[in-house]
Amino acid sequence: MKTIADAAGVGRPRYSAAVRVSTLFVAIAVFCLAFADIAITTLDPWSEMQRMLLGVVTPDFFAVEAIGTAVVQTISFALVGVALAAFFGIILAQFFHIGPVRWACAIARSIHELFWALIFLQMFGLSPLTGVLAIAIPYAGICAKVYAETLDETPAAALNALPAGVSTISAFFFVRLPDAWAHIKNYTLYRFECGLRSSAVLGFVGLPTLGYYLQTAFSEGNYSEAAAQLIMFYVIIASLRLWMKPKLVGLYLLVAPFLLGGASQIRWDNVVRFVTEDIVPAPLRNADLLDPQAWSAFGDWLMMMLGDQALPGIVATVVLTQIALVATAFLTLAFFPLISTKFFGRFGRGVGHLFLVVMRSTPEFILVYIFLQLWGPSMLPAIVALALHNGAIIGHLLGRYSDEIRLRPDSASGFNLYAFEVVPRMYGQFLAYLFYRWEIIMRETAILGVLGIATLGFYIDSALADIRLDRVMLLLLVTALLNLGIDSLSRRIRAGLRLSTRIDSCRD
Amino acid sequence: MLLQLVNQDFGYDRGLVLRDISISIHAGDRIALVGESGAGKSTLLTAIQARLLEQAALVPQNPGLVGTLSVFHNIYMGRLNRHSTWYNLLNLAWPQRREIDAIRPLVERIGLGEKLFERAGELSGGQQQRVGVCRAIHQGGDLVLGDEPVSAVDSHQARTVLDVLHEHFETVVLAMHDVDLALSYATRIVGLQNGGIALDSPSAGLTAADLDFLYKRGDEDHR
Amino acid sequence: MMTRILRRLTTLLAAALVAAPVVAADTFVFTAIPDQDEARLMERFSKVATYLSDQLGIEVKYVPVKSYAAAVTAFRNDQVQLAWFGGLSGVRARLLVDGSEAIAQGVEDPNFQTYFIAHSSTGLKESKDFPKEIAGMTFTFGSKGSTSGRLMPEYHIREQFGKKPDEVFSKVGFSGNHSKTVALVQSGAYQVGATNFKVWKRELAEGKIDPSKLSIIWKTPGYPDYQWTIRGDVDARFGAGFKDKVQAALLDMKDPDLLASFPRKGFIAATNSDFQPILDTARELKLVD
Repeated sequence: MKTIADAAGVGRPRYSAAVRVSTLFVAIAVFCLAFADIAITTLDPWSEMQRMLLGVVTPDFFAVEAIGTAVVQTISFALVGVALAAFFGIILAQFFHIGPVRWACAIARSIHELFWALIFLQMFGLSPLTGVLAIAIPYAGICAKVYAETLDETPAAALNALPAGVSTISAFFFVRLPDAWAHIKNYTLYRFECGLRSSAVLGFVGLPTLGYYLQTAFSEGNYSEAAAQLIMFYVIIASLRLWMKPKLVGLYLLVAPFLLGGASQIRWDNVVRFVTEDIVPAPLRNADLLDPQAWSAFGDWLMMMLGDQALPGIVATVVLTQIALVATAFLTLAFFPLISTKFFGRFGRGVGHLFLVVMRSTPEFILVYIFLQLWGPSMLPAIVALALHNGAIIGHLLGRYSDEIRLRPDSASGFNLYAFEVVPRMYGQFLAYLFYRWEIIMRETAILGVLGIATLGFYIDSALADIRLDRVMLLLLVTALLNLGIDSLSRRIRAGLRLSTRIDSCRD
Repeated sequence: MLLQLVNQDFGYDRGLVLRDISISIHAGDRIALVGESGAGKSTLLTAIQARLLEQAALVPQNPGLVGTLSVFHNIYMGRLNRHSTWYNLLNLAWPQRREIDAIRPLVERIGLGEKLFERAGELSGGQQQRVGVCRAIHQGGDLVLGDEPVSAVDSHQARTVLDVLHEHFETVVLAMHDVDLALSYATRIVGLQNGGIALDSPSAGLTAADLDFLYKRGDEDHR
Repeated sequence: MMTRILRRLTTLLAAALVAAPVVAADTFVFTAIPDQDEARLMERFSKVATYLSDQLGIEVKYVPVKSYAAAVTAFRNDQVQLAWFGGLSGVRARLLVDGSEAIAQGVEDPNFQTYFIAHSSTGLKESKDFPKEIAGMTFTFGSKGSTSGRLMPEYHIREQFGKKPDEVFSKVGFSGNHSKTVALVQSGAYQVGATNFKVWKRELAEGKIDPSKLSIIWKTPGYPDYQWTIRGDVDARFGAGFKDKVQAALLDMKDPDLLASFPRKGFIAATNSDFQPILDTARELKLVD
């Protein structure tokens, strides 16, 4: 094959920065693949898959008495959690220009809600507060950021038009909030949808939401029951805009706290003990802080933790994240035409929509869990599940975006149209979405350790199994820092490529 | 004869723009469509396009380039339908010497030689318009339909562009707002006014003044 | 169909509304480590709750948990006052809660065993000596916090090979519970696994194990395992002598139906010192500080 690198004169083919960055990421993923364990370890995955598919076509809505309660509680946790997050989010947004507030929000959202739940389980046990805070805290961090960015976009003209001496609070309620209201409302509704997913997943650690029964049904092979629960979940999400009416929100919020269920009252001595003893590194606990011996023991402890647990955990997390990110990219490119008027007719798009809705409504944690049952423990289930879920989310956004592209009347069709017209025009947008999801994929990758994949979550889960909360906190800190690092790297790459800086609906 | 329209009406959803149009286009015609802004030049071109899509190369007013792809790729796109998809993809990733050799002289002729591998989105409006013309020429065929193909190009470059277009196509139908250019390149002038054809005659013997009546209402056009 | 579902949902909603804040302060709550299929746990311990309620004359409630650690944490945080623990989880719980005591264990528990099991494709057969051929194969434990599924098998593996499990095997997993370990080795997801001998026997009797695919390759020496552990402060909360009443009720459990679901032949008294060997082993493996 000849390229024209040797051609005379000016003008050699060059690749744009976006293409070079993409190639680099693909190369990194291929490199990571060499270190990843992607074996299918079950001997007969197909028979299990057949049984699952059979379950999907024969859903059993009456298998679990508690399914109705589980649905109600899933919604209630999401409602209360997101309402608190929105409330504190809007307050924090006012102070978002203050460094420490911004950092606290960044840390809150860099830790997965399931990890938050595991922390609060130690303090509050299976009380409703655990589930509510696990959603409210990371979501408040996200809401604060998005609200702050939205409010910042209030046109300066509107603010300048105010008479001198108007108080900040008046200006907020008369100008900034009304101006941003529609956007904030939409975003909060989207967060609520995410909240439903988070709430369902919290069942995996014992809260009384859908995930609780889903895990039982799956682990015992009752696929008809599992299918019924998942279908209920899709119906709730698909009908969201039908029942989530502005007028009814107040009523819902009034009722929801009483539907959270759960047992056991909160004992504050447990909370105090957690903060003052449990999370203090073991060598320093009950030790004389002036004793150099204690500090040297702490040093050994720290080296052991970082070397034996954090480091291998980080490596596995990064390896899995990079592969899943690139797999997401490829699936996105395959998925978006499914719902694009440029490529499919009404019927084809209908099928495409259904597929994408199911894939993006299913929490990635549950998808991974399903694939783990099918293929056995390795990185493969995680890669496939993360790519399907995230590919469906970005594919959906790109599909809608592609409809807005106006083409020449004589433009190509089929694959040529795809490769020469549509994808190049959307490539910047596509990369922007992907780089936004990068951090989210990493957060999700870390939590998957709980399911047995050797990412950071695996070591966190092991420390939890040993009730060594000091180790849990250290590893969580490492996880948070890794996430913040990826977030800032992603921001730098986006700035370098001059990709658009505000995309809300693909943030999780 | 390539096309014959008899007593046809054309327009968009909002209402008719052209009424009772009769026109025929023969192989070898070099037609300039002239008239005020809004007289219906673009509508008539669109109608002709719709009927000759298979044979005609197009130069739309907005060249519709893919800004993220290079000038080379945008021109190459004129021939997407002539190659296999795999060959197209190969060229997307690695431009082939054969294709570059075919496209480079054209681009040099039109004064964009050093821009061959620049991203189209980074060019000026006039440069983009010239790339659109190159794409049509690369697509080839006997007929080109152009909607103000030199509207954003300076007058010197405009002549080059029109020269090249007329060299490459046997039949040329261009909507033009520059009456002098129209007279010097076209062999036949079709003048539009008030949604109808007000003039259809050989250009020989016509002067710019003869076309003035087409612009008598609100003379904002820069002739 | 739709109306049926709707009606059901409405009823459930109403029920949830009324029943939301449960567990009165004087309810005696217990839990159990989720060591096998959850449906079975629920069935087993709901019956036990009824039995204890009758015997103790107060409301007794069983709270299911999703992990061994959650059982220990609930016990530690006084959200449950009694728990059916494994050897390791019991040791951990008693280290964390001053004054808590092991009060009863199954007749079989002082001499518990772990079975190493292997898929037939490995060609391994049962042997008296530790099967060193398993080095390099894939291996699954049960739960990370299990005595029979983690602590004891890991102890023997380290003892035999002088290395950590992940250095001995090509891949090490944690299935989550004993039933799952059996299922994963039977499906071939792992070549070798370690499971609780009680669960093995039960699943064999129930026909869940296909002997042509799965066989025992080694049995560990006996060790103490499961026990009922109670918090030290129950007498203060539920009245003097409450701990003894609970112990008596457990030792008195004679209903074969209740016992079969554990499955144990009966319960005998236990003390904290019975589990010293487990604590020593856990310390040796650095699973407990």
